[in-house]
Amino acid sequence: MAKTIEWEKSLATAKEKAKKAKRLILLDFYNSH
Amino acid sequence: MGCQQLAAVTYPNPDVCATVEGNFVPLQVEVNNQEMVNRFGVKWTPTLIVLDPDEREHHRFTGYLPPEDFIAQIMLGKGKAEFNLDRFEQAIQCFQEILSKHPKADAAPEAQYYLGVARYKASDDPKELKKGLESLRRDYPNSEWAKKAQVYALIP
Repeated sequence: MAKTIEWEKSLATAKEKAKKAKRLILLDFYNSH
Repeated sequence: MGCQQLAAVTYPNPDVCATVEGNFVPLQVEVNNQEMVNRFGVKWTPTLIVLDPDEREHHRFTGYLPPEDFIAQIMLGKGKAEFNLDRFEQAIQCFQEILSKHPKADAAPEAQYYLGVARYKASDDPKELKKGLESLRRDYPNSEWAKKAQVYALIP
């Protein structure tokens, strides 16, 4: 099965994970309608 | 519409998925989240922003992009973040990767420009700026980045 992007939903969690993993954050603002 | 195209075409692409997962913590926010929209000054979707863990913004683009251009844009964002954080060798790697894997992407001329600048910052040798200009004139002569770099022709 093809891998899919696992998106975080919270900025605070993303910042925490990015800090821990020494990574950048890719933030996508989207409109589902 | 652009968001639906990203979700249907770009995000399922295995190279996009590997590049995002391998380089970033991906965060998706619905545009009805007013607090986040105001915080980042978002006016249109899709808007993609590259942030460092301290929430400093390093790169932003708006609108749908097909897989190859999307990868080049986010790697350009990574390169600019590394550059802004004074990690010039890492920045050089990002810009080189764009130029070797996605030389026809719209982000490539900007990557070529910043590659010259990052090499100069890493080496303190102004000739790197001139070399960058030569590469831009050879590979992307009609780009705005070739225009921006033309001042480096004055370097002896």
